[in-house]
Amino acid sequence: MNNNATCLTSEENVRLNRDTYKYAGLVDTRPQAVEPFDKEWGVGLSGNTPNPSPFERINKILSVTQKTTNGFVSPDRAELVTQAYKEHPGEPQILKCAYGIANVLDNTPIYIYPHELIVGCLGCDKKGAPVHPEFGLNWVVNEMRDGLMDYSDKRTHDYFSYTRETQDRLEALRDFWDGKTIEDYTNAMLTDDVLKGSHAGKGVFFADAYVFCGAGHLGIDYERLFRLGYGGIRRLIKQHMDACDLSKPEDIERHTFYRATLITTDAAIRHILRYAALAEEMASAEPDKQRAGELLKIAAICRHISENPPRTFWEALMLVNLANTMIHIECNGHSISYGRFDQYMYPYYLHDLETGEATREFMQELIENFYIKIWDLNKLRNHILIKTFGNGGIGGPALTVGGIKKDGSDGTNELTFMALDAHAHVRIPCPWLAVRLHAGSPWELKVKTANLIRLGTGEPKIFNDDVAIPSMLSSNVDLFDARDYQVVGCVEPDVSGKSYGWKDCGHMNIARVLELAINDGRCINCASDCPRWERCGGAGGQLGLKTGSLADFTSFEQVLEAYDKQMKYWCDRQVAFLNAVDLAHQALRPLPYLSILMDGCIENGKDVTAGGTKYNFTGPQGVGIGTAGDGLSAIRQLVFDEKRVTGRELLDAIRADWAGYEELYAYVNSDRVHHYGNDDDYADSLTKFAMDTWCKHIERRPNAHGGFFQPGAYSVTVNVAHGQNQWASVDGRRAFEPVSDCMGAVHTKCCSHDVKGPLEILRSVTKLDHARATNGTLLNWKFSPSALAGEAGRDSLIALIEEYIHRKGMHSQFTVASRETLLAAQKDPDNYRDLLVRVAGYSAYFVELNKALQDDIIGRTELSFD
Amino acid sequence: MLHRNADGAPCALVSNIQRYTIHDGPGVRTELFFTGCTLRCLWCSNPETLRPEVQLGAYPDKCLSLEKCGRCLKVCPEKGAPLQFGDGGIIKAVRENDTCRTCLRCAGECPSRAIRQWGEWMTVDEMLKAVEQDRSFYRRTGGGVTLSGGEVLLQWEAAALLLEACKKAGIHTCVETALNVPTAHMEAVYAFTDLVITDIKHMDTQKHREFTGAGNERILENIRRAVELGKKLVIRTPVVPGYNGDEENIRAIGAFIRDALKGKIVQYQLLPYRRLGLEKYDALGIPYPMGDYQPPERGEWEREITRLVQMLSTEYGIPAAAGSGGKLQL
Repeated sequence: MNNNATCLTSEENVRLNRDTYKYAGLVDTRPQAVEPFDKEWGVGLSGNTPNPSPFERINKILSVTQKTTNGFVSPDRAELVTQAYKEHPGEPQILKCAYGIANVLDNTPIYIYPHELIVGCLGCDKKGAPVHPEFGLNWVVNEMRDGLMDYSDKRTHDYFSYTRETQDRLEALRDFWDGKTIEDYTNAMLTDDVLKGSHAGKGVFFADAYVFCGAGHLGIDYERLFRLGYGGIRRLIKQHMDACDLSKPEDIERHTFYRATLITTDAAIRHILRYAALAEEMASAEPDKQRAGELLKIAAICRHISENPPRTFWEALMLVNLANTMIHIECNGHSISYGRFDQYMYPYYLHDLETGEATREFMQELIENFYIKIWDLNKLRNHILIKTFGNGGIGGPALTVGGIKKDGSDGTNELTFMALDAHAHVRIPCPWLAVRLHAGSPWELKVKTANLIRLGTGEPKIFNDDVAIPSMLSSNVDLFDARDYQVVGCVEPDVSGKSYGWKDCGHMNIARVLELAINDGRCINCASDCPRWERCGGAGGQLGLKTGSLADFTSFEQVLEAYDKQMKYWCDRQVAFLNAVDLAHQALRPLPYLSILMDGCIENGKDVTAGGTKYNFTGPQGVGIGTAGDGLSAIRQLVFDEKRVTGRELLDAIRADWAGYEELYAYVNSDRVHHYGNDDDYADSLTKFAMDTWCKHIERRPNAHGGFFQPGAYSVTVNVAHGQNQWASVDGRRAFEPVSDCMGAVHTKCCSHDVKGPLEILRSVTKLDHARATNGTLLNWKFSPSALAGEAGRDSLIALIEEYIHRKGMHSQFTVASRETLLAAQKDPDNYRDLLVRVAGYSAYFVELNKALQDDIIGRTELSFD
Repeated sequence: MLHRNADGAPCALVSNIQRYTIHDGPGVRTELFFTGCTLRCLWCSNPETLRPEVQLGAYPDKCLSLEKCGRCLKVCPEKGAPLQFGDGGIIKAVRENDTCRTCLRCAGECPSRAIRQWGEWMTVDEMLKAVEQDRSFYRRTGGGVTLSGGEVLLQWEAAALLLEACKKAGIHTCVETALNVPTAHMEAVYAFTDLVITDIKHMDTQKHREFTGAGNERILENIRRAVELGKKLVIRTPVVPGYNGDEENIRAIGAFIRDALKGKIVQYQLLPYRRLGLEKYDALGIPYPMGDYQPPERGEWEREITRLVQMLSTEYGIPAAAGSGGKLQL
């Protein structure tokens, strides 16, 4: 294949590949180094393919890459950080942090694996995970002691192995960290009134995401890093440092910040040079001449990029991988994302083609190697978190392609296509691909995207520029910055390299808020077995605000008013909790390495956690939107319009978990009641009200690092956890069933509430105000493979996506697997190890998810076009 | 005869409106299934469309049981005589003993939709409104409306009115018909029909009668006439191994298309048999006519269809295709 074989808009290419579709059953799915834009990879195959890559090297690496998130715990980082903290006991916290990471970068073990061309690791083996004691060491050691970390009946997936020696070495650090964690600091600032409804209380809202890890959810400014190199960053810091006037108190603080960042910058340079030295050492002992040459090339690249701007595609990609990996070494906040890959890498692509430095095929191979490097990363999670974030791996390494450029023109280029092909060639759940589309996206990109979706690995997700950009503008983001947004983590649009957004920091179960709103602030299952009984229900009190009871309401407006008041009450408490965690991060865990890579921190002389970069948000999510909407709809129709039941009867029915109310349960779940997801204004307008009320009470609240709150409208997978915290609800949910996922319709054990089809779902969902949910929205689609077969299936999927974009939906993700396949995988996991599915915000190996989440995915309405 | 409602508005009896179908005509389509049919194909997957009347269907899985509900019994003017119950609840809702007056009260009352009404009289305006909802999709995909059934041309007058209204609204129209109807009825709708989809189920009229209840003479004559009129035509054969899937029959159809029709069709589609509609047979209390018949393993059978398609293209020079997923070159 030569480089000119595939030109994006070549009519000849269309004609040549037309034959592919002549017969639905005869598609050539063999991988090629340069793929035509309309290459088909089959429908619903997911990852179940041996040797998916056209490159022997990539298939070799894949063959030794495990398809699970299990790994080894490594104690080195924890020891090295502790050692540095002990050596600098009295110094400002930011200096301690800088000495800590410098000690790790200088002394943690590093590895270069066979065949690979891109290097960098977390200081431990493939899929190994370091320990971050700053966010709590007790849970790590306790889980090891209690058998909750390694494989057991209690932890069948996402488990971590460790040696006795590792456990002992971590135990030895325990005393030092006792009482010094973010959790200790946060709890000292909170009252029971804030804690009672949180994850630590009755679970109306969760705010714990960043109590046990860093905030993450950002992407660095790659173009700036490429321009400056670490050497340029060092010069910039020195320049600002020299300008400090230490007679001014604020400059003393700035000066300290510059000292800290100089320490981390120099450590980063030395860390990259360690790889150069290792590669040279390995080359000298390497019997295979070709591999020895590759290792020497790796060494030369590392030497160059340790301080200087990259010159070639390979150098730039190496720098991206190393710079990002060091962010994970500094802090365990996840969703460190890879920005607009096809934009910032494009100059290097063109340069290499023009100068003959590299072929398109070789760059394709590098990208595929890079993807596997991302999958190699891993993160230690506790046995509870893995239930809501199963098979997350490092978590949230999003990579964005497509969309408009800063100047407003379409940015699709060859790398857009290569990045998408690379996923089909590796079929692992990393990176989390996002394709930005807009009204003017080229047809070829839509075809490429649709074919990748049809493959069925759950990648990529679709983001709509025509909503995301206005949404960012409404958060005071500048026009050029807004157009240059990337997607971070699961769901969130973010200004690349300029935003510390605290995205996904918590979530509110708005269906639970409705429960408290119609039951005078009491939990519907309030009883003496509740741990809070003595000081709450038992003492004549109630968990929430007294907003009246459905048994007494005389008009539906009273229901809406009660919901509104109850929502404000809980938003106040969630905001309080999140701001306390934010303050704890600033005090205990400044990030002097990340700060050198974020735009503005050096200029402002301020750490990123304290608001050093340009944009500063805090983004919690509303969960259970469909459940709340259908709940309001059922109340209005049954109690006030039809008067089929009284408010008291409806409350009694859910208190009894519908036992003895089978007829009502069937009726509420049937299509006789107005339900969200069927293009029915009655239910859709109430669902919009449920979501808008959440947005209203969260948006623009001031946060602790100099910005304000942004509401999101998605659940990722916490709808399962919130459901487990909630008794039966009026929409027809039984106790402990999941609440509705993301922006999707309700599906209870009885039946799915969306019964009409994909067009009705689309129209219902786009009646909600996506742009207002500035922290992101998500709709999960699930299709049976037969619905997407053939060219007709492909084109109707594209039409669906186009209509979603036209109607201003922000974000969609797709699972393409039949119910039968998923059930078979549950029964026989060993034969479905490679079955990737879209969880929500990310893809994961289906058999590595826990049963509750598997069931939730199976339960999503399967859409069929015929 | 054209049916009119109490207000005098023209109506059709429709069993279902399916949105976002992609296999019956180009693009994304809304498909209306008209009730009543002139054939009784053994493999029919829409048994609810056979009888030209409103019917009741029973879904035992959904029934709450007589003990917990029993609303249907309470409202039935025949005291539940047409309804049959087992231990778990309803089993059948049929009118075998002619006691049911199809008042539909039981279906109206059932809270869990265990008793459902199949078929509804809809005015032309109502049908048009349902079709117009998805107009933006038709525009994007070159789609439109498809009238199907049952046999849509049994209600040819209402169909013609609806198709005419759709054409006025700028919507592409397609009619899927078995064409076992008087030629005049067929021609009455053609003025407003952009594409016709029809079947040749067997070339041997005896076998055709055996499998569908009628001979094929009128059907073949109507197909010839359609081509003569210059109608765009898609011909299909639902290929059922052991019934009509033999090479000899497929060759005979290929020869008919090549010789009698001069190959002037849009596409000839071989559709693999699928065992569909069983739950609807159960709900209507009708045995599945094919009994326990199982087609050969799917992969093997699809390869055979692909081979037949190759044969038709190369030896007969006709635009053959496997399945209905390919794009139509209109």
